[in-house]
Amino acid sequence: MNLDLLGPLVAWPLMLLAAWLAGEWVFRHWNLPRVCAYGVVGLLLGGLGLSQNGVSQTAQGFMANVALALTLFELGYRINPRWFRRNPWVLTAGLAQVVLTFGAVFWVAGFFIESTDQRLVLAALCVASSPAGIMRVTHELRSAGQVTERVLHLCAMNCLIAVLLLKLVVGYWHLETSGDLGQAAFNSVYVIGLSLVAGAIFGVVAPLLNRLASGSQSTTVTFGFLVLLLTGLAQTLHLSPLLAALAFGVLARERRIMLSHAQRNFGALGDVLSVFLFVFIGSLLSWRGLFGGLMLGATVLVVRTAAHVVVNASIARVSGTTFRKGVLTGFALMPMSAFALLLLEESRLYGFDLARDSLPVIVGLLVLLDLLGPLVSQRALMGAGEAHPEEH
Amino acid sequence: MPLGPFGESQALSLGVELELQLVNTVDFDLTSSAPDLLELLSRKPFPGTVTPEMTQSMIEIATGIQTEHAPLLAELKGMRDTLTTACDRLNIDIAGGGTHPFQRWSEQRVFEKPRFQQLSQLYGYLAKQFTVFGQHVHVGCASGDDALFLLHSLNRYVPHFIALSASSPFFQGVDTLFDSARLNSVFAFPLSGRAPFTLSWDDFTEGYFTKMEATGVVQSMKDFYWDIRPKPEYGTIELRVCDTPLTVERAAALACYLQAICRRLLERVEPAPAEDDYLVYTFNRFQACRFGLDGVMVNPKTRESRTIREDILATLRHVEPHAAALNSLAALEEIERCAASAGNHSTHLREVYRETRNVQSMVQESTRALRAGPRLW
Repeated sequence: MNLDLLGPLVAWPLMLLAAWLAGEWVFRHWNLPRVCAYGVVGLLLGGLGLSQNGVSQTAQGFMANVALALTLFELGYRINPRWFRRNPWVLTAGLAQVVLTFGAVFWVAGFFIESTDQRLVLAALCVASSPAGIMRVTHELRSAGQVTERVLHLCAMNCLIAVLLLKLVVGYWHLETSGDLGQAAFNSVYVIGLSLVAGAIFGVVAPLLNRLASGSQSTTVTFGFLVLLLTGLAQTLHLSPLLAALAFGVLARERRIMLSHAQRNFGALGDVLSVFLFVFIGSLLSWRGLFGGLMLGATVLVVRTAAHVVVNASIARVSGTTFRKGVLTGFALMPMSAFALLLLEESRLYGFDLARDSLPVIVGLLVLLDLLGPLVSQRALMGAGEAHPEEH
Repeated sequence: MPLGPFGESQALSLGVELELQLVNTVDFDLTSSAPDLLELLSRKPFPGTVTPEMTQSMIEIATGIQTEHAPLLAELKGMRDTLTTACDRLNIDIAGGGTHPFQRWSEQRVFEKPRFQQLSQLYGYLAKQFTVFGQHVHVGCASGDDALFLLHSLNRYVPHFIALSASSPFFQGVDTLFDSARLNSVFAFPLSGRAPFTLSWDDFTEGYFTKMEATGVVQSMKDFYWDIRPKPEYGTIELRVCDTPLTVERAAALACYLQAICRRLLERVEPAPAEDDYLVYTFNRFQACRFGLDGVMVNPKTRESRTIREDILATLRHVEPHAAALNSLAALEEIERCAASAGNHSTHLREVYRETRNVQSMVQESTRALRAGPRLW
C-alpha cells in the first residue's frame, strides 16, 4: 500500500463527498448557500495540511481552472451585450464601481501595507466579483429579476476589468523590476487580446461541431469538452483561461446556440466540479492567515462593499429599478474569493513573483469572503423577492 | 351579492385586453419579472392600462373604450411600444402567443395578491397550468337583453375566433397537434364552457345567477370561465376564446371582425339563436382548436359542414358593408389575409420550429413579431 497516495486519492474524494453532503444539509436545514459548506470543508482540509502535495496540486489547479472556466462560459452566455447599449446606466454603474472600488481599496490598504505593488495587486483583485459564488447562488435560488440581472452583468464586467487591471499591474511590475518594456506590454495587452481572440475562435467553431452532434443534451457535452480544451490551451500558451472562457460564452450566445434549460450550469457535471472548486479554494487558504490578516480583511471588505452599494444605489432609479434593489445589487456582488485566488495563482504560474508574496497578506480577506460572500448574495436576492426556490 | 343592473355602454363600442408573456433574453424561458416591469411603468402615464396577472411572468394590458379600427390599433401600438421600451431597459422581452411553448408550469410563481393566492389554493396545479395567454374582446351592448342575444347568436362564430387567433401549438415542450392548446387548459376549469341559454337578462340574473350564488359555488361573474360572458358592470359581453396573437395588428383585426359580425347580428336578419344551436358547439370548438382554419364546422341552423376557412371567407362577404360603416375594412383585410393565404400564427410558429428544430426559436420569433408587426412572412 502506498501511503503517500492516501491523501490525494482517498482523503480528497472523501472530503468532496463530505462537502457535498454538508452543502445539502445546510441548504435544507438552515437555508444557507451550499457553497458556504464547501468552503468550510475546504478550509478544514487546508488546516489539516492534506492539500500540501506538489504533484497533485498542479492537476488540481488545472481542474479548478476548468471548473471556473465552465462557470465563466455560462456567465458569458448569460450576458446580453446589447443591454449595455439599451440601458447605458448599467454600463455606467459598472465602470463607476470599478473606479471607486479600485481607488478606495488602494487607499485604505495604505494603512496596513507598505508596498505599493501589493496594494495595487489587492486593489485590482478587489475589483473582481466571483462568478462561481454568484452563479451558484442564483442557480440555487432560481432567481430572476433586476437584482439578478444586474449582478450577473456587473459580475462579468468586474471579472473582465479585474483581469485587465491585474495584467497592467503585472506589466508595471515587470517594467519596474526588469525595465523590460516588451515584457511589460506582453503581459497586459497581448495576453488579454489573445485570450479574447482564442475564446472568440472557439465561439465560431462550436456551431460547426454542434452540427455533428445535434440534440440539446449533446450540445452541453460539446461545450463542456471545448471549455476543457480551451482551458488547457490557454494555460499552455500563458493566456488567461478565465477570460477566454468568458469570451467563448458571449460568442456562443451571439451565434444563437441554444443551451437546453435542464443543462444549465452543466447539470451534474457542474455540481461535481463546483464542489471541487470551492473545497480546493478553501484548502488553499489557511486559518492562520485569517487571524493574521483579519483587520485588513475586514476593513477592505467594508470599503469594497460600501463602494458597490453606493454606486448601485445612486444609479438605481435612473437605470430603471428601485433604490432598494440598487442597494441589494451592491451587496449581492460580494463574492470574490474563487476568481481572485485563481487569478493570483495564474499570475504566479506565469512568473509574477509578487503574486506569491501577496497571498499571505490578503488571505484573511479571501477567507472572510469565501464564507460571507455567497451568504450575503443569497440574502440580498431573497430580500429582493427574486428567489424562487423549488418547492419541497 | 346579487348581480347589479346591466351597465350602460355605447352599442358596438370595443375594448381589448391582451395577456402577454415576459421572457428572458437568454433562453427565452418565462421570467418572473412583472413586479420590476410594473414598477418601471408606474413612473410614467401608460397609454391604456397595465395590470399584474396570475403569475409573475405575465401581464395584462387593456385599451380604453374604442369604436373604430384605426384608433384601436393606434392605442395597442402605443402600449406595445411603451412596453418594449421598458423591457429593453430591464433586459427582458415580451411576446404574444397563447402558450409559452416550453415553460414548466411547476416553476411559475403566483403573483402575491389575495385573489390570485386564493385561486391557487383552490385550483392547485390547474391554477399554475393556467399560465396561458388570451385575448379578451369586450363589445358594448345597449341592454342586458341585447347582450344575451349577441352572446348566444355568436355561438356559431366562436370557431372563427379560435381558428384565426390560434397561436399555441406547443405546450410543455411538445407539439400538441392542436392549433390552440391554450383552450384545453381553460376547459379544465369546472365553470368553463358556455353560458346557460336564455335571452332575457331578468331571467339570467333571477333565474340563474341568484340560484347559482345561493349554492355557494360562485360569488361573482368572475367565477365563470365561459367562452363568452356578460360583464354587467361595463355593459358589455366579453369574448374570451382567442389566444393572444403574435401581433397587435392581428389582435385589433379580430376585435373589429367581431364588431362587424355583431353589427350584422343586431339587424336580426339571421335566424334567432336557440338552445339547439349548442348541439354542435363543442364539436365545432374542438375542430377549431385542433385543426385551426382547416377544421370542419357544422352550421347549427343548416346542419351543413364546411371548413372553418370557407365559413370565414363567406362571412367576410356578409359583414363587409358593416365593416365599411364602422370604418374597419382594414381589419377585414387582415382577417382575409390570415384565412385565405398567410394562415394563423400557430402555422407560422410550426414553420419556425420545422426550420430550426428548436423550441426557443419560436419564442424568439414571437418577441420579434410583436415588435415588427405583420410585415413578416
